[in-house]
Amino acid sequence: MPETQAGVHVAGLRKTFFPGTVQEKTALNGVSFDLAPGEFAIVIGSNGAGKSTTLNAISGELPLDAGTVAIKGRDVTKQPAFKRAGVMSRVFQDPMLGTAASLTIEENLSISARRGATRSFRSGLKKADRDRFRAALEVLGLGLENRMQDQVSLLSGGQRQSLTLIMATINAPDLLLLDEHTAALDPRAAELVVNATLKTVGRQNITTLMITHNMEQAIAHGDRLLMMHEGQVILDLDRAEKAKLTSADLVSRFHDVVSDRMLLN
Amino acid sequence: MDILATYWNLIPVSLAQGAVYAFVALGVMIPFRLLNLPDLTAEGSFPLGAAVCAAMLAAGFGIAPAMLFAVLAGALAGVVTAVIHLTFKVTSLLAGIIVLTMLFSVNIRVMGKPNTALFSYETLFTAMLGSDGGSPLTQFALLAVLLALVCGTLYWFLHTELGLAMRAVGSNQLMGRAQGLSTSKYVIAGLAMAGCLAALGGATMAQYQSYADVNMGVGVLVIGLAGTILGEAILGRDKLLRQILAPIVGSLFYFQFVAMALSLGFKPSDLKLLTGLFVLCALGFPILRSRWRSRV
Ligand SMILES: Nc1ncnc2c1ncn2[C@@H]1O[C@H](COP(=O)(O)OP(=O)(O)O)[C@@H](O)[C@H]1O
Ligand SMILES: [Mg+2]
Repeated sequence: MPETQAGVHVAGLRKTFFPGTVQEKTALNGVSFDLAPGEFAIVIGSNGAGKSTTLNAISGELPLDAGTVAIKGRDVTKQPAFKRAGVMSRVFQDPMLGTAASLTIEENLSISARRGATRSFRSGLKKADRDRFRAALEVLGLGLENRMQDQVSLLSGGQRQSLTLIMATINAPDLLLLDEHTAALDPRAAELVVNATLKTVGRQNITTLMITHNMEQAIAHGDRLLMMHEGQVILDLDRAEKAKLTSADLVSRFHDVVSDRMLLN
Repeated sequence: MDILATYWNLIPVSLAQGAVYAFVALGVMIPFRLLNLPDLTAEGSFPLGAAVCAAMLAAGFGIAPAMLFAVLAGALAGVVTAVIHLTFKVTSLLAGIIVLTMLFSVNIRVMGKPNTALFSYETLFTAMLGSDGGSPLTQFALLAVLLALVCGTLYWFLHTELGLAMRAVGSNQLMGRAQGLSTSKYVIAGLAMAGCLAALGGATMAQYQSYADVNMGVGVLVIGLAGTILGEAILGRDKLLRQILAPIVGSLFYFQFVAMALSLGFKPSDLKLLTGLFVLCALGFPILRSRWRSRV
């Protein structure tokens, strides 16, 4: 499979929380999909469908019961999260989680600019770094490039999330994972961050997996649509199929698939 | 008038003492502030540093190797605490208590007895300041130079790629992992650094008072914490430089308060109670204040 070799390969992810207890909960029940290089896939699904668990499993934050994750043909399933960070980056739903609050903006960027590289006793911030960070921040249009020595704790949620996005993409990753990264923001900030996301991802052609609960966003953007339900991918639409889709379609397709399954069970 | 005169006479000594304890305060600040990982190992690594240094001086080693090995022993104590915390998933507080308890026995083994006197040996102070060990003010000047060196090194390190990474891990471990940082590695290194500083404080103290004792660690953690909190109240902690200087400045001020308490007639044995009350007030004040504000 040449496509698998070059892109992202996710196969048979399984995860059950609290197995063998009354709280037993199967969050992932065989999640599989492949992403072509540069593909921008959107993931939707009801609450508790297993979307976040899928992303956490891919990033290595959550140990799996079974399954394989391979990036560019390299199996990373056994690697801890910090090792996988060499090839993938993340933006979390909570804007507080993606940055180190007690460090300055430029210090945060310095950490991320060396993601995947070995760190040494060299200075963490050189002039060339600062120029590069300034240019990257300018793209956001938030004026953060003039506040590079401010502590991140001084920033708003939207600003922090925008910074996290820049940190995640300053070295183009092989895979970018976005987990409802605009859900905690006010509508205006959310729009800014979405636009910044489309711009950065598009410009660098980054393979991206983005969870959203916003149907309009899911329909308007991306090359691919994955719908999850009860720990499985129940709908997988390519660009052409997706282009014909409306919000109402999506809801009815969801109900069709779900009721078919109920009948089968 | 009498009280003032007594205090005036105590100022030089209290400055020197504050400077000795400033090393420990720095070693307490690192886990509590930079790593956000409360750690009590200083209570054991401070006397460990003193014991190793005293035992080596008494065995005829030079001052430099004695202090170097004291510092390395402190690093090792920090590593052990970190590894217990990370491997057995016990809280850093408990890991530190286990280590400091074990160190009590280790320290007696190191010295071969519960204490070692150094009056007849050359120390840092007699070597640098003359055979009488120098006056309190020259001792203070010597310690200030040492502290400046330590602070400069710490400030430099915390701006290197590795130092930035360590601070990031202390601030947000999830972010650290997402940015490719092995959080365990940085926690181990951070507690090792804290151990180095606490042990350096102990080695300096042993030479300062020409005496090492297994019980000399009792209460140093709270003294270090008091110094850190006091320094932060004076300097703030919004910039890294202030955060590094805070324990030192705080420690110097703290021993001024100690000198005042002594001039007011408190006994040295009352000091631990007063220090505890001070830390309690410093920790409780912001909470009480916000409670009062929300009530009004
Ligand atoms: N750490 C956890 N411990 C126990 N159950 C969890 C955990 N994380 C997720 N779950 C459960 O797994 C299911 C899937 O959760 P999640 O992946 O967060 O859903 P979503 O699609 O809304 O992101 C839910 O039922 C959730 O309660
Ligand atoms: Mg979720």
